[in-house]
Amino acid sequence: MNESLVRIRAVMLRHWLVLRRSPHRWFEISFWPFMDVLLWGSLGVYIAKRTPNSPAGTPYLLAGITLFWTFTQAQFSIALGVNEETWTRNILNVLTTPIRDAEYIIGIALFGVLKLALCIGTLTIATVVLFGFDLSTVGWSVIPIALLLIVNGWALGLFAVGLVLRFGQSAEILIWGLNYVLLALSGVFFPAASLPNGFRPVASVLPTTKLFAALRALIDGRSLPWSTIGGAAISSLVFFCLGVAFAARLLALFRSRGFVTRYS
Amino acid sequence: MSRPSVVRARGLTKRFRERTAVDDLNLTLLPGERVGLLGPNGAGKTTTLLMLLGAVTPDAGTIEMAGHSLPRHRAAALSKVGFVAGYLPLPENLKVREALTIFAGFYGIRRPKPVIDRAIDRFGIAHLADQQSRELSSGQRTLVSIVKSTLHDPVLLVLDEPTASLDPDVAKRVRESLLDIHREQGTTLLVTSHNMREVETLCERVVILAHGRIAADGTPADVAASFDTDDLEAAFLEVASRSRAEMGELR
Repeated sequence: MNESLVRIRAVMLRHWLVLRRSPHRWFEISFWPFMDVLLWGSLGVYIAKRTPNSPAGTPYLLAGITLFWTFTQAQFSIALGVNEETWTRNILNVLTTPIRDAEYIIGIALFGVLKLALCIGTLTIATVVLFGFDLSTVGWSVIPIALLLIVNGWALGLFAVGLVLRFGQSAEILIWGLNYVLLALSGVFFPAASLPNGFRPVASVLPTTKLFAALRALIDGRSLPWSTIGGAAISSLVFFCLGVAFAARLLALFRSRGFVTRYS
Repeated sequence: MSRPSVVRARGLTKRFRERTAVDDLNLTLLPGERVGLLGPNGAGKTTTLLMLLGAVTPDAGTIEMAGHSLPRHRAAALSKVGFVAGYLPLPENLKVREALTIFAGFYGIRRPKPVIDRAIDRFGIAHLADQQSRELSSGQRTLVSIVKSTLHDPVLLVLDEPTASLDPDVAKRVRESLLDIHREQGTTLLVTSHNMREVETLCERVVILAHGRIAADGTPADVAASFDTDDLEAAFLEVASRSRAEMGELR
C-alpha cells in the first residue's frame, strides 16, 4: 500500500477509535439529527393541519432537514476532525510526523462519510417511523444534490478550520454556528424568495440555495432541474476551491507565526 | 570527504513581532552526535527545534534534514526524524497500543503490529500496552512518547525537555533508554533540557543559545572552560546572567 494511503488510513483509524470511546460524540451523529426531525416534522404536521392546502409542508421540512444534516456532517467531519487534535493538544505531535496536510484532511473527510452514513440512517429511520416520510421515494435524483451538499460542507469546514488555526480555540464557536447561517440563507425549508429583500441577493449566489430549490422540485414530483444542478456544481467547486485556498493560507500563517505553541 | 550532515541549518532567523527569537543561526549535526541545545528561557531553543521540525516556518535561512530541504520536502525529511516533548500529552481516549498504531501509520509503516510489538518489548512497556494513555504517569508517558517517536527508526531524535517534571529515577531510565537507542542505531540526539547534569550525561556536544544566537558550541568541558567555569551549570548561569544584563541594557 502506498505510504499516503497508509497515513490516510491511520487518520481514519484515529478518529474511529475516538468516536468509539466517546459516547457524547455520537450525539452529533444521532441525537441532534433525531431532535431536528422531531422538531421540524412536528412543525410540518401542525402547519399541514392548519393549512390543508399545502400538503407538501412536512416533506419539504423533513427532506430539507435530512439534506441539511448531510451538509452539516460534511462540515463537522473536517472542522471537528482538526479540532480533535487541538482539544487533545495533539497537533504538535501530528505536525512533526511526515503526514501531509492534504492527507490529514482527506482522512477526516473520508471518515466523515462513514459518520454521514450513520447520521442519514438515523434520519431515515426517524422520518419514516415518526412521520411516514421516506426520502428515498424521491428517487436517485436526490444523489447529485446530496453529493454537492457534501462538497459545500467540506468547503465550509475548511473555512472553519482556517478560522480556528488563525484565532485559536475561541473561534470554535464558528464551527457550530456557520452552518446555521447557511440554513437561514439557503432556503432549506422554503424558497429563497421568501427571505427579506436585503438577503435575497446573498441567497442567490449560494450553491446551497440552488440545491435545496432542486430538492423541492423533486418533492413536487418534477424532474431534476439539470441546469440548476449544473450551475450549483460550478459554484460548489468554486466555493470548495476558495475553502482550500483559505485553509492553506491560514495554515501557512499558523506555521509562520508559530501558533502551534498555543497547543503545546 | 566530509560526513553528510543529519541537520544543516544556515542563516536561520525567526522574528515574532519586534522580538527576534532566532537570529542568523547556523547549526550542523553529524550522524550519531548527541547534542544538547541549551539556553536561558526565551533564548530561542524551542523555536529552533520547531523550525527544524517544520512546525514553524523561518523568516530567513535554509534547513536540510537527512538530505531533504524544508519545507519543500517536509514529509520526506520528517520520515527520518522523531520528536519527543516532555510537556506534550499522548492523544486521549486511546490505549497505548492504539496510539502507537496510529503514529506508526502517520510514519507510513505498512504493517505496524510487528514493529510495535518489537518496540514494546525493547522498551519493556508491555504492561502499559493496554492502558489508556490518560492513565499513564508522566514518566510512563515520556517513555511511550519515545517509543512512538522511534517506531520508524529515525536518524535524528529531537527531544524537548524529555525529563521535565520526572522523578530522578524515572528520568534516569529515560536517559538510559535514549543512550540505548543511540548505541544500537547510531541515532543522532538533539536535546533541550534545563538539567545540566543530565546534559553532561547525555550529550557529547553542547550548543548554548542566547538571544537566538550561538553563544558557545563544543564539548561540555570546552564550553565550561570558555566561560572560565568549572562545569556546565556554572557556564549556563554565566550565559543567563550576561543575557539578563544585555536585556537590561536594551531596555
